[in-house]
Amino acid sequence: MDEVKLRCELGVLTRPDGSVLFSEGETTVVAGIYGPVESKINKTLVEKACVEAYFRPKSGLPGVKDRLNESMIRNVCEAVIAVALFPRTAVVVVVQEMQNNGQLISCALNATCLALLNSGIDMKCMYAAVTCFLDRSDSIVLIPPADEREIKGSFMFVFDSVEKTILASHTEGSFSIDQYKDALSLCREESTNIFNFFKKALTIK
Amino acid sequence: MSEQYKILHPVKYYRDYLAHNIRPDGREFDKYRPIVVNLGSISTADGSAIAKVGRTTVVCGIKAELCQSKAEAANEGFLIPNVELPPLCSSKFRPGPPTEQAQVATQLVADILKNSECLDLKSLCIFPDKLAWCLFADLICLDLDGSLIDACMIALMAALKSVRLPVIDYDPALDNKQANLEHRKPLNITNIPSSTTFAKFDDKIVMDPTVDEEDLSTALITIALRKNELCFVHKPGGASVTDEQLLKCIDESQKRAIVIEGIVETALRSLQ
Repeated sequence: MDEVKLRCELGVLTRPDGSVLFSEGETTVVAGIYGPVESKINKTLVEKACVEAYFRPKSGLPGVKDRLNESMIRNVCEAVIAVALFPRTAVVVVVQEMQNNGQLISCALNATCLALLNSGIDMKCMYAAVTCFLDRSDSIVLIPPADEREIKGSFMFVFDSVEKTILASHTEGSFSIDQYKDALSLCREESTNIFNFFKKALTIK
Repeated sequence: MSEQYKILHPVKYYRDYLAHNIRPDGREFDKYRPIVVNLGSISTADGSAIAKVGRTTVVCGIKAELCQSKAEAANEGFLIPNVELPPLCSSKFRPGPPTEQAQVATQLVADILKNSECLDLKSLCIFPDKLAWCLFADLICLDLDGSLIDACMIALMAALKSVRLPVIDYDPALDNKQANLEHRKPLNITNIPSSTTFAKFDDKIVMDPTVDEEDLSTALITIALRKNELCFVHKPGGASVTDEQLLKCIDESQKRAIVIEGIVETALRSLQ
């Protein structure tokens, strides 16, 4: 099976504390992190930093669909950033979509992880997001089929780097429980490649 | 005494309960709250239902309008869900534009509908590219006590099942449409997807959490099923879970899905 090509360029933007241009196959996003910065009064948490996530689509204004992406990015970041170290502050995560070929959420999450590493903020662990697709012939593949109509469903999993447990899961389409299990094990295998890629990306610099 | 203890040390209070394998409301970890469905409660809507999951109450009203279909999907109609969380349902909300939680809930309900393929949008088309039904499903939460998506899905599916659309005679040559109000037809709903929410607290997972449990929990999982197939496994982050925990949740939600389907079907029979 072909591998999903990963590419990244760290520190592409000068203003954010951490930034990355990341692409997963044909899907590309830019992510930037500001933090810890001063938080808005109504969002301040006394015991930890609050994470704000903003997801910008490639054209038009953000809609209801982007709110769901934002909520996933925020929840995953809250779980991995050592938020208890920065009470009464905010960590702002901004993701700009550039190109979407089906792996948008996983690409955005991976980019966020790299941007967080690039910013040097304290984290509990790394995470890797993997998308795989269920095609009409009921096989599970990592590369999205060229024809969109061939896709019966898709699975997205996020694993942490320590125990490889499931941080997040998101699916599209309907499928059997066995297919879900197969997708889970395939994605877990693939997550090793992504962690290796992260390590390589950080050491070259 | 326990009331003060709950306010001062909510986490310890809850943990003490869980240590005895019971929850503050007397349920065990894998027990859900009673579900109540009432059909046809709003006479001015084309289909309506009220669903209660414990104290969480959601009203769903479906309004059907005629419209022109989109050019890229000329032979499809529309089904547009919208979840509203008014200030009435919880102290967390204030009047104004929809909150993030309401928008996320709207998107989750729309995703479950799309993934389950319970309603073929092609059946809402009256004449390709000219005339189609647009169903606005407004879901209003009256009381928010956790597991919002579950209650929304029950209310929405029950309301969809009760929709009776008038037959439309359409003459494309003259662009003349005539609604036959005497002759009404139900929608062709092929399955009843239902969702179950779980909350993770420490390393324990509880089913159908109340709002207090949701606030204290470190992660939420929502699983939707149609018949024996999964159509949505959503965990938006938070604390991580192991494979065994996730598969156990899927197992539990499968059992609950059968019960929910039975409840909706029973409510529907009482209407007829």
